Amino acid sequence: MKTAVVVLLGMSASRLPPAALSLKQFLQRQKVLQIYRTLLRTIRQVPDEADRRYLRDWARGEFRRNKEATNQDAIRMMVTQARNHLEELQKSLALARS
Amino acid sequence: MAARVLQQCVRSFARPSLRLCTRNVAVRATATPAVFIHRPLSFAAESPRTRLFGQSRYGDLPPLTLETIKERVMYVLKLYDKINPEKLQTSSHFMKDLGLDSLDQVEIIMAMEDEFGFEIPDAEAEKLMTPEEIVQYIADKKDVYE
Repeated sequence: MKTAVVVLLGMSASRLPPAALSLKQFLQRQKVLQIYRTLLRTIRQVPDEADRRYLRDWARGEFRRNKEATNQDAIRMMVTQARNHLEELQKSLALARS
Repeated sequence: MAARVLQQCVRSFARPSLRLCTRNVAVRATATPAVFIHRPLSFAAESPRTRLFGQSRYGDLPPLTLETIKERVMYVLKLYDKINPEKLQTSSHFMKDLGLDSLDQVEIIMAMEDEFGFEIPDAEAEKLMTPEEIVQYIADKKDVYE
């Protein structure tokens, strides 16, 4: 039970109420959720239905796979990676639209 | 079956020139071509709303009531594969009762955005933790009073 609590405390997408996290962890969690939401919104704009489904499954898989990460630096790296993916996707969409 | 009969009744109510729905449903189905409102729904091709208001003659969407909002919210939630439909109630908390995490909650709110066709900003989206709260929020935003 105790180890489970310790693991949960470090999770960036945690089930515990925010009061159990430090401020930094709380802000990081918010950032992760924010970028997840932005990514899903951008994926919605993809014209092809099959591509949309593939991208959504990919995004879901990526975020869920790293859900248990506890190292702050690792999480920051992953968030930056996600942001790069998001920018790439937005650029491709802009190109496709023009 | 009951839904089809209800659908026929709604149609016949909207067009008084048709006779009552006591007539044969099969005959009615072939005689009156249905005009369904097609809207992009992320989870299903047909929702209770398009079934009930199948034949609309107006450009606008059917009016929202607290009851229809609740129905649609519960319908979308039941389609979500991580939720057990038997345990789902309007007061069930996503994280405490249904065992979902915050990523699931983001996905659920996105599905609600798809269903109702308007965007829910981040700050307010993360506070919606039960179906009841979602219904209240949408009713607030859409000015639905009862």
